[in-house]
Amino acid sequence: MNLPEPNARPLLEVRGLCKSFPGVRALRDVGLTLGCGEVLAVIGENGAGKSTLMKILAGVQEQDSGEILVNGETVRFPNVRAAEHAGIALIHQELNLADNLDIASNLFLGREPQRFGFVDRRRLYSDSLGLLAQVGLDCAPRTLVSALSPGRQQLVEIAKALGTNARVLIMDEPTSSLSRHETEQLYRVVKDLRSRGVSVVYISHRLGEVKELADRVLVLRDGANAGELQRGEITHDAMVRLMVGRDLGRHDRTARGHGTPVLEARGLRTAAHPRKPLDFSVCPGEIVGVAGLVGSGRTEMLQVLFGIDPTAGGEIRMNGRPVRIASPLDAIRAGMALVPEDRKQQGVILEMAVGQNTTLASLRRDARAGFLNRKREGEIAVQMTTQLRVKTPDLSQFVQFLSGGNQQKVALAKWLALEPRVLLLDEPTRGIDIGAKQEIYRLMEELAGRGVAILFVSSEMEEVLRMSDRTLVMHEGRITGELRRDELSEEAIMRLATAHTASAS
Amino acid sequence: MKKLLGIFGLFVFIFVFTALRSPNFLSAYNLQNLVGWTSLFGIISIGAAFVIITGGIDLSIGSTVGLVGSLLSWLLMHKGWSEPAALLAVLAVSLLIGLSHGLLITKMRLQPFVVTLCGLLLYRGLARFVTDDESQGFGSAHDGLRRIAIGKLDVVGGFAVPVSVFIMVGIAVAAAIFLNRTIWGRYLLALGRNETAARYSGINTDRMKITAYVICSLLGGVGGILFSLNLNSIQPSGLGEFYELYAIAAAVLGGCSLRGGEGTILGVIIGTAVMRVLYNAINILGIPTHLEFAIIGTVILAGVIADELVKRIATKRRAVRALSGEP
Amino acid sequence: MKSKISARTFLLTLSIAVAALFTACDKKPEGGASGGKKKLAYVTNGVDPFWNTAAAGVRAAEKKFGVECEVLMPPKGVVDQKRMVEGLLARGVDGIAISSIDPKNQIDLINEAASRCPLITHDSDAPESKRLCFVGMDNYKAGRAAGKLVKSALPQGGKVMIFVGRLEQLNSQQRRQGVIDELLDRPALTTGVTMKTDPNGFPLIGEKFTVLDTRTDNFDYARAKANAQDAMASVPDLACMVGLYAYNAPQCMEAAKEAGKIGTMKIVSFDEQEAVLQGIADGTVVGTISQQPYYYGFESVRILAGLANGDKSVLPKDGFLEVPIVEVTKANVEKFRVDLKKMQEAGK
Repeated sequence: MNLPEPNARPLLEVRGLCKSFPGVRALRDVGLTLGCGEVLAVIGENGAGKSTLMKILAGVQEQDSGEILVNGETVRFPNVRAAEHAGIALIHQELNLADNLDIASNLFLGREPQRFGFVDRRRLYSDSLGLLAQVGLDCAPRTLVSALSPGRQQLVEIAKALGTNARVLIMDEPTSSLSRHETEQLYRVVKDLRSRGVSVVYISHRLGEVKELADRVLVLRDGANAGELQRGEITHDAMVRLMVGRDLGRHDRTARGHGTPVLEARGLRTAAHPRKPLDFSVCPGEIVGVAGLVGSGRTEMLQVLFGIDPTAGGEIRMNGRPVRIASPLDAIRAGMALVPEDRKQQGVILEMAVGQNTTLASLRRDARAGFLNRKREGEIAVQMTTQLRVKTPDLSQFVQFLSGGNQQKVALAKWLALEPRVLLLDEPTRGIDIGAKQEIYRLMEELAGRGVAILFVSSEMEEVLRMSDRTLVMHEGRITGELRRDELSEEAIMRLATAHTASAS
Repeated sequence: MKKLLGIFGLFVFIFVFTALRSPNFLSAYNLQNLVGWTSLFGIISIGAAFVIITGGIDLSIGSTVGLVGSLLSWLLMHKGWSEPAALLAVLAVSLLIGLSHGLLITKMRLQPFVVTLCGLLLYRGLARFVTDDESQGFGSAHDGLRRIAIGKLDVVGGFAVPVSVFIMVGIAVAAAIFLNRTIWGRYLLALGRNETAARYSGINTDRMKITAYVICSLLGGVGGILFSLNLNSIQPSGLGEFYELYAIAAAVLGGCSLRGGEGTILGVIIGTAVMRVLYNAINILGIPTHLEFAIIGTVILAGVIADELVKRIATKRRAVRALSGEP
Repeated sequence: MKSKISARTFLLTLSIAVAALFTACDKKPEGGASGGKKKLAYVTNGVDPFWNTAAAGVRAAEKKFGVECEVLMPPKGVVDQKRMVEGLLARGVDGIAISSIDPKNQIDLINEAASRCPLITHDSDAPESKRLCFVGMDNYKAGRAAGKLVKSALPQGGKVMIFVGRLEQLNSQQRRQGVIDELLDRPALTTGVTMKTDPNGFPLIGEKFTVLDTRTDNFDYARAKANAQDAMASVPDLACMVGLYAYNAPQCMEAAKEAGKIGTMKIVSFDEQEAVLQGIADGTVVGTISQQPYYYGFESVRILAGLANGDKSVLPKDGFLEVPIVEVTKANVEKFRVDLKKMQEAGK
């Protein structure tokens, strides 16, 4: 195959793209160029206009004004078909596969090879093998999609796009639900595609990924171009600076937390790992991070502490006294609060007003004989949303219309009204933009400063390194080690998380 | 309240349309009948609404009405129980029905549809078994008790209001207060939207769901008492048949979503009123009765479509507001 | 997984409970009688007090003719009736009497049953089937008799409305037509399946009487009552209500009582519900047409018992055994009540 020269002539060019929705200008004069075999990363905070841009390119929406050129010719994409015809395919953030069908049927869904009006099954399966080989997926085409891991499903999606002869693949947060191994496989596929002249527009929140893959980075801010970085200029700080429009301060400090532990677990067992007792403690004003790979039992530990799941044995102590925690209500009464991992399913009620979400946990405390104290409820809603700077037009707005970061703030606000002594956070900044992340970090520090004990689970190394006063590392349901702030490093965590050293204690 | 505009508009339309076509529609006598029936069906519909708000369903309401109605007259007429004892007994039966539904659904994790479908068959069979499938009735006895179902209270202007209206209004006000002014009502609405998130917020979701099923069956029981007292003659195999569907239809028409988490008591009452006015209008206007199901089905469908459109516009507005709210 | 297992356990427990229930209920005399007594079946068209009186006749005939007869009341119309008949055929019986719910469309079922054992119809005939005879009354005649009751109560004429559970059934159509023809002074028809009926929904205007709508309620008593209320609301000068099914007149009475029209509103009934008989005695109901269901049961069993023992002479000629109707009015209500009590006692 002839390798085209990267950036020789733009395969895809966008000029002066504008798009407005009622009440908001999503894109203002956005421009973009993409060469053959180039990987262009598009980054920006949530709401910066990335998704709108991608939807216009894939024909999901039409622009108000501006031009799209493919191979130098102006084109219009009134629908997805038109974009596909021009060789542009969107790989959705949420997978769009029919998981009750097999791989081959999904690859050719809607354009099955036919013979006499029937599906030509033999050609369906043989053609599928070729597409699967292109993405390095070694699965039988007859495998049901539901039997595949999210990573492999992602590869099937890519293969499906390649099947339409796509020359430009748009990937929207492709790694958000992938394991580390699957992520690496995806990287390989992207690099392979690039070498074969397929161009990729890659949207991601994960700056590490961008650094690894991108030939060029386009940064959007508030619906406009905020700048571009060439291969050599792509650094973490540069990207962040363009995204938020300012420098972020680095925090270096000494460990906080002192005195007698407020929360203690002694031989605590979870149902997922009943043979592995957990022992740890958290002091007032201390921020303890829990690191480890996905599936190492961190979430299960928090859920047992909070009474979501029943314990399989062991003891939980608050302020030195054993407490019986059989339900979230017990945990709340003991002074705990949990901001769970899955914000949309567990953290907030999407189709409920911001105000009502904010007060859901504290209603009981303020009620008199079961009757709502509406005055107090209103005060708390205003106070908490102001304190956390939740961006919402008003308190009756449904949470589903807020950005991820603001949703997460609502999930937090619900608990702060109860003034918990122990705050359990499970992936507190997953999927939210950098600005909101900073606010949540600041809040955690502020709470710790007021003596709240914080135990947080995070898969983001940077977050653990930055926030923890002390770090517990878990591996397969066991706490394999504890790192003080002066011992903390990425390597140390990874060693314990993969259990390369003999387990501590 | 805005959400109720659609259904209220439908109600006004049918009401005005019928009134213009037939002067007898607005006679005091007809209106009394209308509010009387709306009250009886309204009570069981409020019960249905509680269960629907939790995202569940109760298909056994009609059979509960039948069992309670049959039992009441059987206890009074055949067993010679005193009125308070018989009333307490049948209410206890309906409470137990709700409790067992709730426990099976929450603790055994069975699907509400299945549990209450079995209930539909079971209670109907029990009613027929206990009464030996013989028609029950009060004859001319218990006239005092029957006044709560057929009695009327004179109010100003010569318009006599059926006593059952006061019962329904009492129940409706209590239900509305429960739903809107107590933490439990808020919990019901919250868990109907997202049970997991409600549980993570420290709500005892199982207990709340059981409460909803108990309320539903209890109101079904109250309905059973009133229906049997009103009709006087009760056939155990027939009393209350399909009433669960009327109740569910009224609740949905009144803005309850079968997905849960949504619904107002006022809406349910208006929904019930729409159904009753329709039946009444069909009779008053002399439309052949074999057309009534087709007409009612069409109107409910129209109501639900109108409601959905109104909701969609509201959602769009909210979304716009959300976008413009962000800088 | 866990919930699945517990659901299965639950089902198991439930089925054991149900099985236990059946065994407990299965204490009917059938078991011991397999030696000599012929087994017959009496299938009704639904569940109604009317059939309880018929069952009393069955019980009396059982004793008199030394047979056993099961009374089956299908609660849910045609489907249940079919299921019950099929069950009977599977078990084997020596004779069936059936009230056909849908005569035209049940011919296959009835013929199949008739090919396996003697089969007669009662109450509602299926004349085109191979049934051996029909025990019943002339519904058209009964309708005309009801019309006469209306005339006697309203010599000046007036507006009349008819109430019925369902109009699809032949007996309700015939009764309705009888009432209409009598009130409009039409000549008497001979009954048959092909009888022409006046369409519903249009007022039928005669010299003195106007017959307005016929309202149906699908056996929902609340609907029956609401229909009566709505009739009074929409036709303020309504003079008379005719209830074609047993429960219709009692609901008309309830509605009239609440409207303060009891006594002035003329009510004519069919069958013999206690409330109606009391109403006749009190003068609030004009009268009722009794089909004497007791004799339906009694005569059916008498004929089937004869047939089962090979005696063909029990069959009536023309294949129709007419059970005479009785017009119950204030004059004979007390005697009728006493007789009815006696019959019902005899059946127990």
